[in-house]
Amino acid sequence: MAMMFSAPVYAIDGDLLLKKVDRNLNPEAYESYRKLINIEPDGRKREFILFTVKKGQDRVASLFLSPASENGRSTLRLGENMWLYIPNVGKPIRITSIQSVVGGVFNNSDILRLDYAAEYKVTKVEESKDEYLLHLKARTKAVAYDKLKMWVNKGDLLPTRVECLTEANMLIKTLYLKKVRDFGEGIVRPSVIETDSPLYKGYRSIMIFAKIKERDLPDEAFTLNFLPRVKSLR
Amino acid sequence: MKGILILTGVTLWAWFLPFPALSEDEYTFDLSEIENEIEKKPYSLGGFLEFRPVLFGLDRDSAFYKIKFYDKEEGSTLEQYNSRLRLEGSYHKGIAGLFFRADSSLWYGYEGWDGDITLLEGYLALKPNPGFALEAGKKVVQWGKGYAFSTVNFVSRPKDPDDPTEPVEGYYLAVADWIKSFGGPLKTLAFTPVLLPVTKSINEQFGEPDHINFAAKLYGLLWDTDIDLLFFTGKSRTTRYGLDFARNIASNFAVHGEFAWLPGFDKRSVDSEGNLHTEKSDVLKYLLGLRYLTTNDMTFILEYYHNGAGLDENDADNFYGFVDRAYDTYLSTGNSSGLDRAAQLSQGSIGTFKPMRDYLYFRASWNEPFDILYFTPAVFSIINVNDRSLSITPELLYNPITNLQLRLRGAILVGGNDSEYGEKQNDYKVELRVRYYFD
Repeated sequence: MAMMFSAPVYAIDGDLLLKKVDRNLNPEAYESYRKLINIEPDGRKREFILFTVKKGQDRVASLFLSPASENGRSTLRLGENMWLYIPNVGKPIRITSIQSVVGGVFNNSDILRLDYAAEYKVTKVEESKDEYLLHLKARTKAVAYDKLKMWVNKGDLLPTRVECLTEANMLIKTLYLKKVRDFGEGIVRPSVIETDSPLYKGYRSIMIFAKIKERDLPDEAFTLNFLPRVKSLR
Repeated sequence: MKGILILTGVTLWAWFLPFPALSEDEYTFDLSEIENEIEKKPYSLGGFLEFRPVLFGLDRDSAFYKIKFYDKEEGSTLEQYNSRLRLEGSYHKGIAGLFFRADSSLWYGYEGWDGDITLLEGYLALKPNPGFALEAGKKVVQWGKGYAFSTVNFVSRPKDPDDPTEPVEGYYLAVADWIKSFGGPLKTLAFTPVLLPVTKSINEQFGEPDHINFAAKLYGLLWDTDIDLLFFTGKSRTTRYGLDFARNIASNFAVHGEFAWLPGFDKRSVDSEGNLHTEKSDVLKYLLGLRYLTTNDMTFILEYYHNGAGLDENDADNFYGFVDRAYDTYLSTGNSSGLDRAAQLSQGSIGTFKPMRDYLYFRASWNEPFDILYFTPAVFSIINVNDRSLSITPELLYNPITNLQLRLRGAILVGGNDSEYGEKQNDYKVELRVRYYFD
């Protein structure tokens, strides 16, 4: 469906709008439980359950709860530093934001997502009757996607669609944010994120938020030494 | 051999079988079902069941073949059928937790049936807050940044460079962990002291018995770089100092390194009569490595490892020459004492994973090529830089359904006479590993 956007809106502070979008999606510090589902063209499905904690703009840790083959794997992100801990290996190893620890269309930066405002600045805002269209540009080369186009609902200031693009404007994937739900404690946000990609034709990945609540953890919970013990935060 | 080839063929055929469609275009989910799945329980129990048949192509002229099979007639190939049950469990109450990991193995090879049960880890943990933890019992404490090798892994058994992601057996020890976070360029500082006792019945393989040893690691995340300073002292092994680092240069490029200094180390050498000599010497070990990810999801790992305590080419020549003469003596007189001594040596210094001085490790893996999800083909090579012998191992890893993992590997060993890989027992190896995870 084509949506007509007017000329750029200079009166709106795009970066401030983006920060509001971030806070509407989640508190700055929170814990969440999510299910990831990879769906292949023939209908085969693979499911993963993740426990995630986040603090500040750029600290996230996640733990796989299922399936059994992934249970205990945990990941830590401090800005653009990322580590993966595999219980068998016994020590964390550095990983990169553009690879995927679960396979499928979601990559590490989608799963360990920071605040958008921490990674992107708004270069342009367009406006239609019901939506803003934010054009985002990565603050550094280390960010997984160089550009984003984000459609934001004017009513609740929640994103409905995000296109992830390369520097040359090639579409890498599209995220569709759906089914706005009240999680309690004032958190009202999309509970389902679907994604597809022209690079994975016919494949889809879905992220379902089962629980999300505000939780402030000590800084030490977001360190390399603590990574093998993330499970104790549950 | 026929059995393994048929099994491998059937697995490859099943590998690419189309699976029936499980869902239509629209997916459904039940939130209460997910909430049940995420419910926290005080205990956990899981693991995997593994079946791993291996076919060895024997090199009947090699030193290690002569040591092992001098009085047997095994033909040109050997089969081995391995099965393993791994169990992992935990129980948590308040700040305390119990954890164990154990292997129960059963295998059939040229010597018939055999098996064993090994407790890999079993310890008590106290975690009063995220900034402090205390653990005591049998535990693996892995230090270092190396992928295939390590020089600063002072309180753990060495990992196998051919399978570096497999767990090793722990030692009985007590380890504490203090963590402190900061703002500014130093984001994290952590101190990890370890006490490791050695008696005639506890940790006896670690070193000299009847001593309590101390080791420590100071970790810092400084300017986005992981840095560890490491230290070990005690009378079971000589004192050693270490430093390691790891850093992402770009979002797809990481480097790492390790350095270990071992003053007064008991360095070993072998003479032409097969005698082992030790001499005090200051030893430097180091490794440098990189990891690079391409835009099409290929990962390259390169690691150079220098072991200043390793055997040199002269020692290797002496050992292989001694084995040849001992084998000739056995053929002419029936006296196997020389070969028995060679077998003892091969269990010690020469039997370690990589006994010589300089190695290069290279691995290339391609994650989900051609849109085949959960499929990773890879190839890795370990090169003995000193004698220019090497192993090349292609590998296919696939998870066709949830919790089922298939791995097919073939290793080819290349090297001339008196070289490490030229004198190994095998010319090649084919291995299929089938694992089913459960919880």
